[in-house]
Order: sequence, then C-alpha cells, then structure tokens
Amino acid sequence: MSAAGRYRYLFTPLKVGAVTLANRVVFSAHLTNYAVDGLPSAQHAAYYAARAAGGAGLIITEEHSTHPTDWPYEKLIHGFHPEVIPGYRRITEAVHAHGVPIFAQLNHNGGQASSMYSRLPVWAPSPVPDPLFREVPKAVTTDEIDEIVAGYATVAGHCRAGGFDGVELQCSHSSIVRGFLSPATNIRTDDYGGSLANRARLLLRLVEAVREAIGPDLALGVRLCGDELIEGGTTIDEAVQVARWVEATGKADYINTSIGVATSTLYMIEASMSVPPGYAMFIPSALRKAVDLPVVGVGRFKDPLQADRALAEGHADLIGVVRGQIADADFVAKARSGHAGDIRTCLSCNQECVGRMGLNRWLGCIENPRTGRESVPLPMPARRGRRVVVVGGGPAGLQAAATAAERGHQVTLLERQQATGGQVSVAASVPSRAEFLDVVRNSLAECGRHGVDVRTGVTATAEVIRELNPEVVVLATGARPQPPYWAGGLERVVDVRDVLVGRAAPEGEVVVIDDLGFHQATSVAELLADRGCSVRISTSGMVVGQDLGVTLDMETFTVRAAEKGITQTTDEVVLGAEEDAGGVRLQVLTHTTGSTSEVRCDWVVCATHQAPEDALWQELSGSAEFEVHRVGDCVAPRRAHAAVVEGHRVAVAL
Amino acid sequence: MLTEPVSLAGRSAPSRVLFGPHETNLARGRAISEAHVAYYERRAQGGAGLIVTETASVHESDWPYERAPLAADCQAGWASVAAACRPHGTLVLAGLGHAGSQGSSAFSQQALWAPSRVADVASREMPMEMEAAEIRAIVAGFTRAAESAAEVDLDGVEVDAGQHALLRQFLSGLTNQRGDAYGTDKALLLREVLAAVRARIGRERVLGLRLSCDELAPWAGITPEQAEELARDLAREVDYLVVVRGSAMGTSATRPDSHTEPGFNLDLCRRIRGAVRDTTGATSVILQGSVVDPDQAGQALADGAADLVEMTRAQIADAGLVRKLATPERIRPCVLTNQKCRVRDNRNPIVSCLGDPRSGHETSDPPEDGADAPREVLVVGGGPAGLEAARVLALRGHHVRLVEASDELGGMLTLAARVPGRQRLARLGAWLVSEVRRLGVDVATGTAADLARLGAGDVIVATGSVPGPRPYTVHEGGQVLDVADLLRTPDALPEGPVAVHDPVGDAVGVGVAELAAAAGRPTTIITQDQVVGTQLALTGDLADANARLQRAGVRLAKRSVLREVHADHVVVTDSFTGAPRELDCATLIHCGHRLPDPTPVPDGVAEAGDRVAPRTVHEAVLEGRRAALALARTPVAVRS
Repeated sequence: MSAAGRYRYLFTPLKVGAVTLANRVVFSAHLTNYAVDGLPSAQHAAYYAARAAGGAGLIITEEHSTHPTDWPYEKLIHGFHPEVIPGYRRITEAVHAHGVPIFAQLNHNGGQASSMYSRLPVWAPSPVPDPLFREVPKAVTTDEIDEIVAGYATVAGHCRAGGFDGVELQCSHSSIVRGFLSPATNIRTDDYGGSLANRARLLLRLVEAVREAIGPDLALGVRLCGDELIEGGTTIDEAVQVARWVEATGKADYINTSIGVATSTLYMIEASMSVPPGYAMFIPSALRKAVDLPVVGVGRFKDPLQADRALAEGHADLIGVVRGQIADADFVAKARSGHAGDIRTCLSCNQECVGRMGLNRWLGCIENPRTGRESVPLPMPARRGRRVVVVGGGPAGLQAAATAAERGHQVTLLERQQATGGQVSVAASVPSRAEFLDVVRNSLAECGRHGVDVRTGVTATAEVIRELNPEVVVLATGARPQPPYWAGGLERVVDVRDVLVGRAAPEGEVVVIDDLGFHQATSVAELLADRGCSVRISTSGMVVGQDLGVTLDMETFTVRAAEKGITQTTDEVVLGAEEDAGGVRLQVLTHTTGSTSEVRCDWVVCATHQAPEDALWQELSGSAEFEVHRVGDCVAPRRAHAAVVEGHRVAVAL
Repeated sequence: MLTEPVSLAGRSAPSRVLFGPHETNLARGRAISEAHVAYYERRAQGGAGLIVTETASVHESDWPYERAPLAADCQAGWASVAAACRPHGTLVLAGLGHAGSQGSSAFSQQALWAPSRVADVASREMPMEMEAAEIRAIVAGFTRAAESAAEVDLDGVEVDAGQHALLRQFLSGLTNQRGDAYGTDKALLLREVLAAVRARIGRERVLGLRLSCDELAPWAGITPEQAEELARDLAREVDYLVVVRGSAMGTSATRPDSHTEPGFNLDLCRRIRGAVRDTTGATSVILQGSVVDPDQAGQALADGAADLVEMTRAQIADAGLVRKLATPERIRPCVLTNQKCRVRDNRNPIVSCLGDPRSGHETSDPPEDGADAPREVLVVGGGPAGLEAARVLALRGHHVRLVEASDELGGMLTLAARVPGRQRLARLGAWLVSEVRRLGVDVATGTAADLARLGAGDVIVATGSVPGPRPYTVHEGGQVLDVADLLRTPDALPEGPVAVHDPVGDAVGVGVAELAAAAGRPTTIITQDQVVGTQLALTGDLADANARLQRAGVRLAKRSVLREVHADHVVVTDSFTGAPRELDCATLIHCGHRLPDPTPVPDGVAEAGDRVAPRTVHEAVLEGRRAALALARTPVAVRS
C-alpha cells in the first residue's frame, strides 16, 4: 500500500497562522540539556536539523527562559540575554535548510524552581512551595508581573531576530503561567487571583504582548495543561474555557496541550511503557471541540499509523511525536516513503532520554547511539569490506553487527541460542515490559537490511571463529547469572533469569532480593504475584527498585504492587541461607540498626549482579590472527544502553 | 604553631594549614577555570600554607562527575593558580586521582575501571576488571599528569588514595579480589604509581599522598593496623601523608556534617604519625577530618598528633582564617552543615558557604569590605539577614542602628541551633553578633519598629517569617505544635506519642523526631517521600539520618500524606495509592514551610531574607549582604 493510502491524514498540509506545515507530525518542545553557559549550542542545531532532515512537519525548540529569576536546572537557555541570537540563527538556518518551520518555546518556570543557580528568590503567584523544589517562592507584585510580561516580549523579539517562524508559550506543566492558572498554586486576592478570568489575566496579557513583539508573520501558540492530576488543580473544563479566551484574543494561531505537572505528576507527562498510548487524547479532543484553532495532541505516539488514527478520529490537528523522533530522526521520512517498518521504534523505556534529563545530563537514547551526538560527525570507515565475526546476538552484538555492515563490512553474527535478543528477550517476556523487546527487534531488522549473515544455534568456539577466517572478531558474549556468595548452592535460591526462562517455577512465599535497583526485581515480583505467589521484595538500599524513579516507573509500579499484594522491605542484607523443610531460611541483617533476624520462605529469587561470559575473550585477546574487541556485558554486566553504545563504538572504529 | 613555616621537599610553606582538594564544580569543561583561580587565590591571600587543587582525573577512563577536572586539560589552569598564589608564599600542588568504580559512566559512556568486579554500593554499577593494559595506563596517566604539573612549575602533586580513589580500591580487600600480583600485594599499584611520579618530579618537588587509613569496614577493609604498616612502608616515598578515613561503604565518613565530632581522626592520625616517625622522621603527617576550630588544630600540632592540619571547610567559611589566627574570635566559624560546600550532586551546584556566600563566587560577587562616606542606616530585624546587613554596613564605615523586636538576636538561626546535631549553628549567630558589636553597631533588642512609618533615611528590613499553612484537617482534641514553638521551649513537649509532619525533608524534621524520641516519646516521622529526609542527600547525612532514626526507634511513615489530626491519632494516605491508615499521635509537630512576615513596608524600602521568602540561613546572609552593598553603593544624592 502506498504511504498516501496508508496514512490518509498524516501527510496533509496545514496552515498555522502564516506558516504552512507539510505534515502533521510535530517534534514538540522538550528539554535536552544541550545548552552551554545559557546559550544554544551547535549540538542544538545539529539535533533539530537531523529531525528536519527526517521530515518532521514542525519543530518546536526547548524552552527559552524569559527572566533571570527563572533558572530551575543548570542547562537552561537564557533567552533574555541578547547573546542567544547568533545561536538561534544557527538553529533556524540548519532547520530551514530542510524546508521545515521551527518555533521557539518561551517560558518562565515560576515556583517550579529553586534559587540554586539564580541565587535570587523564586517568583510565583503565591508563596506556595513546589512539591519537588520545596523552596518558598516570593509572591510577585504587580510591578514584577509587568516585568514578566516585558521579559516574554523581549525574548519573543530575540526569537524573531533569530529567524524563528513562530513562538509557543509554555503555560502547561512547568510554568509561572500554569502557576497563575491553577487554583492549587494561585491563592492571590488581587486582579490576578480568584476567578478563572483573573487567573488567566497574565496569560492573556502575554498573548497580547508577544504578538505585538513578533508581528503578524510569525505563528503564536499556547500550550495548556488539560489536567494537572493534582489535588485542587486545573482540570479539563477550565482548560477549555482558557482555550476559548486565547482564541478570542485573535492573536493566537494554535493550541498545544499537555497533562500533569512536571514537578509532581511527571510520570504522566513523559509516560513510560507502563501507561497505555493515547492516554492524554481527551485533552486535545475536548479543546478541539471548543475552538477553531488547530490543536496539538501528545502522549506516547510511537507509530505513524497510531498518529494517523488519532487525526482520523478528530482528536487533534497535529500530533506531537517526541521520543519517537529521538529514537529515529527519520520517523516521518520512513513513514512517507512506505518504510514505516524500518523505524527504530521508541521503547518508552525512558532510560536515556527522560532519565538523563532529571540527572542533569545530555539527552540520549537507549537504542540510538547518535542521539545527543549529532554535532560530532562519524569518522569515515578507515577501511571497508573487512571480514567481521560478531559473537553473541544480544543488544551489543546486534548493534555492532548492524553498524559494521552499514559501514561496508562483511559481517557474520553467531548466536548460541535459537533466536537473537539475549537478555532483552528474557526481560521483555514479562507482560508489563513487552515493549522493551523493540530494542533488539529493531537492530535485528537493521542487520537484515544491511546484509548481516545471522546464524543462530551456533556455539562460537575459537575453532568455529577461525574457520570463518575473520579479520576482526567482536565478542558480545553477555553475562551469566551468578549465585550470591550466601546462596549455599540451595536449589530454591534462583536467579531472575531462571524464573523468566522457565528453569524455575517458584510457588508459595517468595522473597525477591533486589541488589540491582531496576526492573529485574520488580518485574519478576509482579510475574510471580500474578501466578499466585505471596511476594516480598527486599533490598539493602533505601528504596526497592530505586532507579524506577528515574524512568518514571515508580508510581505505576507501586500502585500495581499494592494491588498484587507485593510487600517491600529496605535496609536489609542477606547474610546466609539454609534449607528449611523444603523451603529456605534466610539470615538477614538490618544494617541500619545492626539487628539480625531469620526469615522463612519457599523460594528466594535473586536480582543480583551477573558474571561476564568472557572465556572467549580470555582465549582470544591478544591473538595475532585477528583483531579482537569485546562489548557489552562480557566487559562488565550493565544495562542495555551500555551494550548498544559499545557495540556501535567498536563497529564505527573498524 | 599553625602559623609557623614548614619545609616540604626543601620548599617552605608559610603556614601549617592545608586547603585540601575538594569538588567545587567550578571547572570550565574539565579544565581549571578563572573561578578556580580566584577561589584558591583568596585562600592563599588568607594565609593557607599549601593548596591542593581539585582532584584531576589522570586518565580519560575516569569522569566521576560532570565538572571533574581532567589532568590533560588542566596544565594552563594549574599554571594560573600557581601564579596567583605564589606571591603569598603558598605552595600549590596538583591533586591527581582516578575514582575507579566510584566514578560514573554517564559522561564517558564507557565501563568503569576497577581492580575486581565489585559494584559500587551507591551506583550499583558493575565495573570491568582491569587487565595489564589498563594498569599500565593508570601508571602512565599519573606519570604524565605529574610531569605536566612540574612543567608549569607547580610545587608538587598529591596522589589520591583516599575516599573516591581507584588506588584505595586496590589497597582494600573490599574491592581488590585479584589473584595476580596486584592482589597478593595490594599496595603494588600504589607503590608503582608513587615511584613513577617521584622519578618524574624529582626530590625537589613535593609528593603528597592522601590515604584512607580506616575504611570503617574491618571485615575486609583497610584497618588502622594495616594502615600503620602501609604508612611505614610508603613514608620513604612521600613528603607528606594526609590521614583520612572512609570507603565506598560510607562516603559521608570523610567530610561528615556536625553529627560527627570535629577532629574525629585525631587518634588515627597520631597513630599513623607514630608509625611513620619510627621509620624515617622526614615525612610530614597531616590531620584531616572536620578540623574547623583553630584551638583544636593548634593543639593537634602541640600534642604531636600531626605536623600540619587540613582545614578545608574552615577556609571555605573564612578564606582569611590563617591571617586571623591572632584574633581567633574574628574568624567566621565553619558550622559543619555541609549545606553549600558539599557539592557532589547531579545538579552541579557551585561550592559555597552557609555563612560566606561569596565563597565559590569570587569572580562575580564583590568583597564585602570597603570604605564609603558614612551614613546613618537603620536595620530592622536581628536574624541572620539583618545581622549580616548591619555587619557589612558597619564594616564599610556606616553608622548602623539595629533594632530587634524580641529580646534575643539570632532569629531563626538561634532556634535552628536547638535541633539535635545542629548546635554548632549557634556559633555563626554568635559570630555575627560579636562582629556587629565589635564594629560598633547600635543594637537595641526588645525594640519593635513601626514598619509602616519607615522610609525617611536608609533602612533595610529583615523581619523574618511567620508560621505557614497547615494543609490538613485538625479535628476536635487534635494537638498541633509548631516546630518553632517547640524549639523555643523544648521542655514543653506534652506526654504521649508524637508524630512529626515533615513535608520539607531537611535537617529540621529529622532532628525534631530525634529530639522527641530522646525525650522518651513514641515517635513517628511522616513524609510524602519514599525516604525520610530526602534533602539531606546533598549534605551527606541522608543514610546516617535514616539509620539514627531507626536506632532511636522512630517509626518512619514513608510515602504518607498527612490528612487528619485527631486527639489520639492522625490519618495519612499513601502518596501513590491513596490508601488511608492511622498512626498513634497525641501531639503533631508541624515542620511545614513558613510564610513571609506579612507586615507591609512602604514602597522602595529594601527587604532581605525570610520576609522576602522564607528559606535557609544562606539565602538570608546573601540577601542581607546584598542589601547592604546595594545601599552602600547608592549615591546619597540620588536617594530621596
């Protein structure tokens, strides 16, 4: 089927104010931490340009701060400094080279900030501390409100001078405008508080002032929150009314939408795979019924068809696809050319995009090693056509093979199992983690497209490898479970992988030991609880599954765990294990108090560190016959991203 | 004794006080920056004997935090630091290290290096086991970095085998489980590194070693006994040895906050010095470990516990510490909160100080001293903001009157100092009061100002905060006690079970729960978070605080939002699931956020501190100082 037939709506143009978009896919605003010293960087330009080259209909940059009191995170673009304009030009010229329009987002984060960087009091409508930053803000005076309005106008002027085609006011998930709109954070009694009309006064002033600053040729959008998902916060009815008022000004060209508050209900703004796609579409849907302006809908759109259907159902006029285009910059181009199957589909794992934002690191992607590195060109292959043997078909081996083949080498991949995927296939066998499988499905497909000879069911010994007469061998042999020192060889002390592949089937009372702090323990706990086990997760840390907080899986896991009766204990170290009437008796130390206890259960499942499978490395490294590299868990057992990055790095350097 | 010069490798340090290597986040990329230079220069000016620059990674495999200096990028910066400090006689050494498994792969995107496959306790990341090639690279990295420092004529280098150090990981049974020569002889790599560095810099430059002499993990870690032997062994190789403690098992043990007694390494240091002197007699031994009081530092030298002392945080608090030793009462005290100087945090905060906000901001903040044409200034409010404003104005020659409505100066700082473990905060208040009096400020306590009538003349208003809202329902018989009222009269705590409502998660809620438990009350602390005291992660007290609470028998009500207060219980709901539960409670102690003093002032009157927005002592001091400097810089004629 042709792309046009497959996507009835996605590739129809749309006018947004004076700007014409070629298609309905928006690369909406999101933080990148690419700014350097408050200025947009070359990486910004390369990053956005890659998505423009990949066919995005519209790009909206990350936020530009409108006032020095606003500095919630280190790598914020200080739009209020005129020094930003050359950086703006670099971005807009790079994007315009591909014929794609680009808007800038303007914002003041208000009370959703601290004074850590600004060393100034935080500004907000009222002295209501933010749930994350916990700093009491200064309630702004009317003079200061005028200063805020002037700041937006100044930055809008910088954007115009910098060549942007439009600006968007972020009034949604982290903004002083949201702060004013929301009854939860605005307890003022003057003209800016109380009634909705008063709470919307700042927004409507900003629309007027910004339109004045940008003139008639640039587009102006307003991004509204349709449901803050907090107690006493904004809900959809007020959002609809505010959208009507925005339209009534006659100064705005489109409405963008979002859900949640970034410093409180972030897990619904950038939802992980544990939240179903389309979960926020009730918002654009309701707004679109109330206004004639084009409305943007967002929320875990991973597939172009899914976006097309949302347009078909009339929920929105434009669809924001952020993580989908972080994972594959050519998301739109591949859909348009009828190769949607080639898209490196986003997993919604949140590990290297969302997860790195909260940690003040540059934005990347678990399955796209180029994301975040667009401004650093790949070297030309030093040589082509080298005979490469990759051993191991997990994420490291698949990535190494795909990249090496793409760069012109002759690649054979040997996998011991009957199918590739390695530990990813095992991890993704748990229903709530199924989308994680895409990381290996995508790279296996790339191997196929680039002509990798994938041989499964082959155990790669040194002999087998030599017979292939390679010039280069890349070992990606992974890791194996390793019983903790205290396991005592007991049959009922098993590894997570034993359970997930069916080697062990625990029943009754199960204790899961979480040494890794990620999905391993929580996944197996859910699986076993679903099978009727009574499950407790125990960790030596302060929180079970601690890094689920980083990927925004903590809230949803905790709710599911409560439903399934999974209990959690912290600060515990296992000292020993003995057999006890067919079950296991654990000796446990609570390390905070020094007290010890004994716990009896039927099975113990260990989410603990693995050992690298490095026998081949020990045998082959330093070989005079061929170059030998190792990547992924056989270097040190870590998470999937390390495997993908290393596979790519080694392949690029061949 | 502290101000007595000392000779190291034939070079003379003007005092026996070391400004040790510490994370600052001042780097530009991974290079030593202008801000670094100004930061170190100010301490040299203040009389520091030795300055060791922020530890630089000797090899690109190490990128432990985003702004961690990389030795390969540091040569020009090192040269600038030396040039800035040398006029003051201070010896400048380059701090060199590699964090090994305590590093981060987030920036390098490469596997961490370590002696053995032992995951770091904090990050849980599994490192790769170093093979021969990596070991050679480490030795070469130290050598190259030392050579680079010598090329720009630094006085020497300090090698890190302390808290965050690969070299310590090799020394320790906790992390070194190798079967090769580097495992059977755990000090082999360190000896190789020291020998290679010495060969490169020669005997005329200083080679220092920072060594963890007690990992506080006697089952497998370095013990003081082992450290004695190690020190004896290594003493010939180095010119000085800094005795530190701690390992990856307890990262807060090396530079802990005020819950740990100052000078906690005294006995350990004395012991190591004894072992070292038995063998050579030439190696200087340096005491580290919350040495913030000049008396204690001087006593350590007099008693023979050490030859020099590291006073890093004390010189962050007062850069001029050594120069002021003759008048020690004028030294701004370090109160060991770690609130602004401990900056190992993903957000990359800039090193600074609770009481001296200019620390770390030397290139952007003006010095507070200077001489102006004298003016009459009124400061309203005797908390930290008002005291600092009055101090700075008086320092610059103005005639200042300070009025305080209550009978006592210090404001919330005085109350905060009554929280268990935070008593040292009182020293900052006492210092501000003593300076204000020394500088001749006319202080009137028990004197309220009529804020509505202010405006004639120069005035700064810093009248603080009032209790904040209580976002829960108090039913009949429910008793709620504001934390400030409790701290005013701690004996007033009623009988019966206590619950502490702590939506903030800083030192106050935790400390008050400890206070209630120590008073024998069955105590619960209520937090909406998954961990109690989340904000203490920055100060290093998070894990310790949770352990103290558990040992004191305090019940930790985590993930709990307070909803209702009844006569004998409170109702909380789960932060995520909403499920309600009841907790025993006769008295609820409210530790919520406060609100600004609502009393209005006429337009244009300068305000500072909590009455702008209630925050911490640091912001109060910062704003009090800024208000004073702004007023001092405003030409009289322009003001009406």
